[in-house]
Amino acid sequence: MNEMVLTRNNSRGFRELNSILTVMAREVTLLFKSPSTLIASLAMPIMMMGMVGGNLMQNMTGGLDFDFGGFMLVGMLVNMLFMMVSMNMTSLVEDRETDFNQEMLVSPVSRYSLVIGKILGGTFGAIVSMAGTLVIGLFMGVTLPVGKLLLILALSPLFCLSGGALAMMLIGFIRSKKAANMAVMIITMPQMFLSGAIIPINHTEGVLMVLSRLMPMTYCLDLARAVVNAGTPEYDSIVMFNPVTNFIAIAALTVACLIIGTFFYARADKNR
Amino acid sequence: MSNKVIEVDNLVKRYRGAKAPSVKGVSFSVERGEFFAFLGPNGAGKTTTISILTTTLSKTSGEVKIAGFDVERDARRVREKIGIIFQQPSLDPNLSAEENIRFHACLYGMCGYRPTFRSMPAAYRKKVTELAEIVGIEDALSRPVKKLSGGMQRKLEIIRSLIHTPDVLFLDEPTQGLDAVSRRSLWEYIDETRRRYDTTVFLTTHYIDEAENVDKVCIINHGEIAVCASPDRMKRAVHFDPAPKVCLPSLEDAYVEFLKGDKAA
Repeated sequence: MNEMVLTRNNSRGFRELNSILTVMAREVTLLFKSPSTLIASLAMPIMMMGMVGGNLMQNMTGGLDFDFGGFMLVGMLVNMLFMMVSMNMTSLVEDRETDFNQEMLVSPVSRYSLVIGKILGGTFGAIVSMAGTLVIGLFMGVTLPVGKLLLILALSPLFCLSGGALAMMLIGFIRSKKAANMAVMIITMPQMFLSGAIIPINHTEGVLMVLSRLMPMTYCLDLARAVVNAGTPEYDSIVMFNPVTNFIAIAALTVACLIIGTFFYARADKNR
Repeated sequence: MSNKVIEVDNLVKRYRGAKAPSVKGVSFSVERGEFFAFLGPNGAGKTTTISILTTTLSKTSGEVKIAGFDVERDARRVREKIGIIFQQPSLDPNLSAEENIRFHACLYGMCGYRPTFRSMPAAYRKKVTELAEIVGIEDALSRPVKKLSGGMQRKLEIIRSLIHTPDVLFLDEPTQGLDAVSRRSLWEYIDETRRRYDTTVFLTTHYIDEAENVDKVCIINHGEIAVCASPDRMKRAVHFDPAPKVCLPSLEDAYVEFLKGDKAA
């Protein structure tokens, strides 16, 4: 009788993809094991879309030549992805505190696979928040056609990768949970205002304009709005850049952030 | 062909901002299948050395090879060859015991990830069940790690470190905080593993009696190798007196005597 033997798969490609899937699955498993995180993922849209968005809708709609509700809903959806993925990246600090980080760092896989797995795993929680945002939007009478929604959903892993890579730049070498939470605020708050998630930035200039152009979320939002508003008369008032330009900017900023963030993450413990 | 599985040559580690190096030109080697004990008092440089050997810490200078691979240039190949039990538990407390093993096995490419234990390949389930039975945690596999005792967590770490059948097993104070029964069953299992897979074991411990049956002992003190010998030779010639007059009853006595002599010198 042949003995069932557990043997290693020597294909590098399989191992890297499998490790991305494994790290991703861990994040999703942890989300389901933590009902409070799941509830927070659903509650966040009440605050962001319901309170912030609702107030802006009541006070900012006048004088705009496009539907502010639709503009803001897309902004909130992308903002929610960025915010939740950034928050999830703080679990790296928790992994350091429980020493689980060591287990990941001694495994024979690329550090990029570990980081990408972590970001994509956080995407699941972010999509839960995105769904919550849509439900709140529905109550507020702001909706999107199903086809456009599916397109945004299809783009969401790219947006999450971009947001997670940016978060890695700061969180990669932070050791305290408190500092990590501060870092999330530093990452998410300026982006929410400067990248045009809730306020149009077509007329932003000077230093603020430079800052907004350095933020990956600016291009993610613009790409999402280009997808949603394609073929409408409002397109030129809402969308700032060509979608190809957006895609190239997202890819370039994501790759740059991912390389720098992963470098810091891998070196923080090793180079003491 | 060299049978050395660990080769350390003139290893130096100076931590960033430190005035003096923690490890000062350490050299030693370990043969394939050997049971090697790396002993020394607190702060002697044991964990620093083991961290460099396991690729989790960069060296300042010197050369370190594991299974013929350089720990910095071929870090990934080195990681494939080793298993580690860290000084502090490195388990995910929110996952179950089996999920921790599954996570490890998948990262080491032993099987493709599946979402449940039942959906994992039969070879994986067989090995996990077999190992869990040997260390006596078969009933705890589905329990969250945070609900397991310290001893059970240690046993779980042993299963995890051996699931990918490493060539070299690093044990950094593996029995710290374990009761006597757990310590004994753990060592029985490690002995069984060594016999079955010809695994090289690199041990650091403060319980010197655990190193009584090793093949070779190295004592590190103040970041320098003070002595490298078999336990028997250590007991007979603590200071390598060419004509030893006494044979100490235990390795622990020899170790204490040696460190006293080293301090006086």
